[in-house]
Amino acid sequence: MSSSPLLELWEAAAANPYQPTISKNNQFTVGFTLLLLGVILTGLFGLNRSLINLPLLGIPASLAFGAVSSSARQLFILLRCISFGPKAQVDISPLGIRFSVEDSSVMEGHAFLDASLFTTFTYTPPVPSSPSSSPSSDPTPAFQISLPALLETLQIFGITDSRDKWSSRESAYSSITRAGGNPAFDQRVLGTTGLCRLSYDGPGAPFCVRLEEAGVSTTCELSTYEAASGEDIPFDRDALVLKTILRAPWLHDAIAELSSTTPSTLTIHSSPSVPYFALSATGPLGSATVAFSRDTPQLLETFHAPRTARNAYKFALVRAASRAMAVASKVSVRIDRQGVLSLQFMLEVEGGGVSFVDFRFVPFAAGEGEADDSDGGEARLGEAGGGGSEGGGAD
Amino acid sequence: MRFKAGIQNISTFTKLTASLVSLGHVAWVRLNNTEVRFTIIPEQGTQVWAVLSIDSIFETYTIQSAVPNNTINLEVPLQPLHRALRSALQATSASIRLTKKDNIPLLILTIVTNPSSGIPHSTAFNGGNRDNEFDAEGREQSLDFSTSREREIIIDQEVPIRVLSAASVEGIHEPHCREPDVHILLPSLLQLKSISDRFTKLALVTKTAPTSGVMGGSTTLGPRLEMSANMHGCLRLSIKTDAMNISSVWTGLTNPELDPAVVAGGEDGIRDHPSTRMKALGTADGGSEAGWATVRIDGKDWGRVLSVGRLGGRVIACFCHEHALILYVYLSNDEEGGDESVLTYYVSSYSS
Repeated sequence: MSSSPLLELWEAAAANPYQPTISKNNQFTVGFTLLLLGVILTGLFGLNRSLINLPLLGIPASLAFGAVSSSARQLFILLRCISFGPKAQVDISPLGIRFSVEDSSVMEGHAFLDASLFTTFTYTPPVPSSPSSSPSSDPTPAFQISLPALLETLQIFGITDSRDKWSSRESAYSSITRAGGNPAFDQRVLGTTGLCRLSYDGPGAPFCVRLEEAGVSTTCELSTYEAASGEDIPFDRDALVLKTILRAPWLHDAIAELSSTTPSTLTIHSSPSVPYFALSATGPLGSATVAFSRDTPQLLETFHAPRTARNAYKFALVRAASRAMAVASKVSVRIDRQGVLSLQFMLEVEGGGVSFVDFRFVPFAAGEGEADDSDGGEARLGEAGGGGSEGGGAD
Repeated sequence: MRFKAGIQNISTFTKLTASLVSLGHVAWVRLNNTEVRFTIIPEQGTQVWAVLSIDSIFETYTIQSAVPNNTINLEVPLQPLHRALRSALQATSASIRLTKKDNIPLLILTIVTNPSSGIPHSTAFNGGNRDNEFDAEGREQSLDFSTSREREIIIDQEVPIRVLSAASVEGIHEPHCREPDVHILLPSLLQLKSISDRFTKLALVTKTAPTSGVMGGSTTLGPRLEMSANMHGCLRLSIKTDAMNISSVWTGLTNPELDPAVVAGGEDGIRDHPSTRMKALGTADGGSEAGWATVRIDGKDWGRVLSVGRLGGRVIACFCHEHALILYVYLSNDEEGGDESVLTYYVSSYSS
């Protein structure tokens, strides 16, 4: 080829340099932004695609619910606080999920998982059964699941993090060369956790928990049972004989101290004068009292006791709430006119935000509870229930 | 017959006996010139057939017997052997030999500890080992450590055994199984074990309580775990009870290739092998129902089998659909060119 035409082309080209659409200096920024956008959109699409799950056929009153949580551990801690019974009732609403457990109608515990605890929370209300009713008036029917099964399932999560007990014996060198072991890519080091997905398709469908981690995905379908038809223990918020807020660890310590004599009954004394707030436990082996003083300013944050009152409860029931006492930061202790005790615990959640777990206890009826055998002190719900109908009931 | 060997790798030997002790009370140990075999055949449950190369546990191995290939067959109780080995963990050196005392055949484990290398509290105080004959031939009072730099402590642990005649072991053979449908390399056994144990616990927690108050005399059967695998690297573990239905799926595992030199019939044998046919079915994400080979195993027994995970090594699982599960555990050998040790577990499946 002759070089002169090429040389002419070359020199002619110097006059009009090539300008790309995206200039040289901006290419990285634009490229990175597009890539990031692409990744985010793919992720959102991937999550949402599987959560929204409307049945295709016209099944009346069908609903769909899906929640994705980045921290199954948080759910586990909250649910473990109320795991004193075999079955838990689940109520799903647009605001969140409420788990309730009750023990022979004398004790109940509720844990409310707010929608903001989850990374995504998708709730599709049920199709109204009749055209005349408004769309939001039909709540999702509640159902029951086995709570121990749910807790065990959530514990599978993070099981890959657990170090085998033999690795501590070997030297660091041998653990790296051991087949299959590679601590540099350990989940703890990378800081990645898996995904936990809860979903429920409507009455008759199981409650699904799906846990995904590196390499393993676990799906658990919990059978749902008919919801119990009992009512909540009534609590009259307007007629309180005691209202106080204190730090939960102190209540936990107090209960732990009192349980050393294995008591059967816990009595709460509250009065506007000394002793302001005292817990005493009595049993066959002895008795003990823990008194909280109001004079120390930081001990009891709020304290309101219009008149002196003494209420007795079964100690074993109150002690079942001790897991909540151990993890919560604050507790609000309230007793109403009937003697129903309400303990509301505030737990701090990772990443800010709070969750609430509350318990209600029915007291021993006046005159009973001082009995020597534990069977004699059973509360009579009829008395509390009859009074509650005037009071207005649960919050 | 004579047998004497130094134990090179005390921790490996201890871990091996630890994982075997949960599966059976006695093991048939067969020693010869080239290898050491441990075999456990319990009444109920998994069978173990382990073949270990001599170099993996022993050094300075001397053996002599009238039987060809210098074979010695012994019946060894595993619990005393394991306890004896556990006491040797902190030792400087240990050796084992076959001998007879008062006409009782014994395996004597001699443990030598130098106090300057560390306080041998595990050898001096052995908790609940009342069954072992415990001879402490200390040439030095064990309390005086500070001045006993040159002295050492020698302990002999005696394990009573039985010698088996060649005729009595003639009839024992490995279980014969048809060609497996799926073979797959299992993920880390410890991860598998922790998930299996949690599934077993879940099943026990949610099972409806039995009405009779009589506790089972011998082994009570645990919940049935269902394990399936396909030829595309997927493994599934699941359990089903009244209250729930849970399953875990591993994806991205490897399926080892068949070696034409080993399979009967060479290349043609591989083509007709059931696992090649299974490869045609199934998908890598485990979505479709086809292509899975399933076995049903006892949860508690499986947990005991998986305790072999503490030895490390690769594990290849061979599934015979609805029939049996065979695990091959290959122990890594530190030396180059040494023979690999293989432990083979035969787990039978329950029918649905």
